[in-house]
Amino acid sequence: MRIRNTLPYTFLVPTVLLLIVLAFTPLIYAVMVSFTDRTLFEPTSSWVGFENYSKLLGDRRFVSSAWVSLKWEVVTVSATMLLAVGLGVLMFETASRRQRAFFSLVFLVPVLLPRVCAAFVWKFAFHPLYGIITFPYRAITGRPLDVLSDPNSALLAVAFVDVWQWGFFFAVIVLKLLESLPPQPIEAARLDNAKPWEIHFYITLPMLKAPLVSLALVKAIESLRSFDLIYVMTRGGPGIATETLDMYAFSQGFIESGNIAYASAIAVIMLIATIVIFTVIWKRVNR
Amino acid sequence: MTVVKSRLVATTAVFAFALTGATVAFAADKVCTEDLRILSQPWDGLTTTEKFADEFKELSGVGFQIDYLNENDRRAKSRADASTIGRYNVYYIDEANLAQFAAADWIVPITDYYPAEYDFEDFDPGRRTTATFDGKVWFAPITGGGDLMVYRTDLLEAADVKPPETLEELMVAVEKLHDPDNGVYGISLRGGRGSGANVWRWMPYFKGMGGEWFVDGKPAFNNEAGIKATETYLKLFEYSPPGTQTGSWDESTGAFNSGQVALIIESAPLGAMTLDPDVSSVSDKVAFGIPPKPLTGGGYAHGFAVGVKANKTEEAKKCAALWIGWATSKENEERRFEVGQPGELNRTSIFKSKAFAEKFGTELPAALEATAAVTAVNFWQNPKWPELGDRWGIILEELITGQRDDIPAALQELEDFANTLTAG
Amino acid sequence: MKSNFFGQTILWLFALIVIVPLGWTLLNAFKVNADLLTPVPKLFFSPTLENMAYVLGRDSVFAALINSLIVCLSAVAIGLALGLPGAYAIARHPNRITKEIQFFVLSLRFLPPVAVAIPLMVIWLNLGIYDTRIGMIIAYSLITISITMWLGIPSFVSVPREVEEAARIDGYGPYAVFFWVALPVAGKSLLGALAFSFILVWNEFLLALMLTTADAKTLPIIASEMSQMGMNVPWGVLNAAVVLLSLPPLMLLGLLSGFLNRAFAQKTR
Repeated sequence: MRIRNTLPYTFLVPTVLLLIVLAFTPLIYAVMVSFTDRTLFEPTSSWVGFENYSKLLGDRRFVSSAWVSLKWEVVTVSATMLLAVGLGVLMFETASRRQRAFFSLVFLVPVLLPRVCAAFVWKFAFHPLYGIITFPYRAITGRPLDVLSDPNSALLAVAFVDVWQWGFFFAVIVLKLLESLPPQPIEAARLDNAKPWEIHFYITLPMLKAPLVSLALVKAIESLRSFDLIYVMTRGGPGIATETLDMYAFSQGFIESGNIAYASAIAVIMLIATIVIFTVIWKRVNR
Repeated sequence: MTVVKSRLVATTAVFAFALTGATVAFAADKVCTEDLRILSQPWDGLTTTEKFADEFKELSGVGFQIDYLNENDRRAKSRADASTIGRYNVYYIDEANLAQFAAADWIVPITDYYPAEYDFEDFDPGRRTTATFDGKVWFAPITGGGDLMVYRTDLLEAADVKPPETLEELMVAVEKLHDPDNGVYGISLRGGRGSGANVWRWMPYFKGMGGEWFVDGKPAFNNEAGIKATETYLKLFEYSPPGTQTGSWDESTGAFNSGQVALIIESAPLGAMTLDPDVSSVSDKVAFGIPPKPLTGGGYAHGFAVGVKANKTEEAKKCAALWIGWATSKENEERRFEVGQPGELNRTSIFKSKAFAEKFGTELPAALEATAAVTAVNFWQNPKWPELGDRWGIILEELITGQRDDIPAALQELEDFANTLTAG
Repeated sequence: MKSNFFGQTILWLFALIVIVPLGWTLLNAFKVNADLLTPVPKLFFSPTLENMAYVLGRDSVFAALINSLIVCLSAVAIGLALGLPGAYAIARHPNRITKEIQFFVLSLRFLPPVAVAIPLMVIWLNLGIYDTRIGMIIAYSLITISITMWLGIPSFVSVPREVEEAARIDGYGPYAVFFWVALPVAGKSLLGALAFSFILVWNEFLLALMLTTADAKTLPIIASEMSQMGMNVPWGVLNAAVVLLSLPPLMLLGLLSGFLNRAFAQKTR
């Protein structure tokens, strides 16, 4: 550079400073509040040290919600990736150019819907008496089917909606990734009479390993935002079967007791866990 | 029943005529300066009242906006709002959170502000009592009552079952009436969490079996009464239709009104709803009774109170009270009555009117009167009740949906929670 | 071809899983309760406009629509004003520091929304901007700035350096190059990035739920309130609310699909 260019400074410094203020103020505040006994009802509070944290360890709802959150991550990420790869390959193999364009457009719709709307659409579709999805079951057996109040199926039903939103979207991306691959290796394999699934399993998918891992990571990050779906569909019920960490924190802070300090302690634990885990994974993947 | 219906049209017309004559023209100097914001639960009766917003505008000079939330959300939201910035001029208060709101000075006693011309004394005495805390009356009722037993005459007749008068008879009857293969369930209950939801319907068993929440300031529910009440409630749930396990009033009464349930014990407004062919497919085959012994009916009342934070000045408080007075006025109750929304009636002058008797016959009013004798305060009258009740609601929901089955351990967990609650 | 037929059937089945529930919701928005609450789903019915009229006629919906529009558009504008220059600087000056900044911007997405929402609520209460549009705009700016930056970087990287060099030889300074060359050339894919950030905040729920109570409520909050009404749920009204809330993001469908196509077309090179 001949002249000292000021552009990177003027363009970056204010923005980064603003982001740091916007992000760190609440985080530091959350940590501070979690060491007090602050409630929603009284502005005064006193320092209680690690009391909230030690209470959390003995709180079965906290333990359960941490477990539910973990299940949620595993189920939604793996199901989304399976659907995305399967459907992406299927489109690549069987659909014509025009069909691909059409399906790509259709499969983009679910992810654009507000989560609240997607949750409602499916909540009503799953309705035990009037739902369109439960209708075949009702027609055949003559009995209602209530997936959202059965503790064994409720979490899966909500996860289904999440996968419905993201899996189709990622399938479109997988299709575009496949289209971007050089055609020669695929042609060569075809000439060797390889079956389509062999081609993809042994050739194309390994070639796409890096972007697929990134996709899975993006999904893992987005899966942290399960709150809207659970809030509208089950409220963490039946019992605490679908209560994730964020739902539990919200319940403690607002619905049940207004215990902001306790809710903050839950949030801080979530925060530390996600930042540590994702930073490690992201840095490792992008090395 | 068809006779009743045709007569109904005629009487309503007469009634409406009488009304216009009786309308008092209030010389209210327009006290309001800003539009009012009201937090409420959805009631058909309020939707009817909303249609006359112009009338209120003329009366007060301002408009109003009602935000509707379901019961659990309304409780959480009103508490969060009142304790922080208090945007709502009028809060929707019920028997369960009255103590909390009154003790925290989030509302003012309604009788200090209720306009005299709307005649507060006309409200049903039971509801005025429920609206009382610490010797003062805090809200003007929009709905309330005790419990009614509603049953299907056709199904009971077919199964040769008499309307149960005791809990034992109830258990036998429910089992006998239960026929899910033909789409008939024995009873309908509420399983969804909440101090005003599943816990509300569980409490009559608990209280009826001699249970007490606290004795000498110590939790007292973890005993025979608590265990037996829970066992009974869970047993009855085997006969309750799908959807009610995590449902509340809506699912439970909806199942009855759509003809899937033989018998139900629910809050009193259900009685008149089941007679309304617009919402009930069984309107011509229901009858009423009081809850079987020893169940105690859950006495409740919901209504409107003047918020403190949003109404900083005396004028603002008067304005909010003017809206409450107008919305709960005899005139507006008569409008609700005319369009067949009897759940939102609270005035003695209406209950005792000829039109009321003609519309609902003698049976329902008689049952409503009889149930007053078994109506009781089932919950713990304390500002911390919502917290305790909600916690039990979650545990009870877990029991109902089969995530846990150890009832003594469940009650023990609640007791531990109650101890931390009363200690703090 | 047999396998092709089989594959096509499955493809269409998946498409139906997307289309049927949405189409059903659309139909339900024009039904009265009696047509909605039937054990056997009703495909033919006499449609009513009452639900739509009710939703559109409610003051709370109108107020929420205004709130949503003001809050989201302002936040997107802030994201554009601050995020795009930042993205350009990172794209044009790849080094250790900018790489760290890039990661920091991404890591903001790792933050669990509750962990931001709970403390923000307390802070906003203390500052007196709880339940105001300003408070919402500031909170949403965190989302829009970081997303615009994150998606903007690859768009600027794909602007050929030669074009910028040519402009520089013509006497353009670094700022002029950004405004007159880089921005217009990357324009189309930047538009996609902005559409994406708009949709994110338009659909946002948790922060809005915790940072507003009455005055600044956005549309998703109103929709959720309607869906939870409980007593005698007005299902038709609800379906109508869902349809109306979903329209704006769907109108951006074309823009986003183009954005995706371009983003992946670059990879082929």
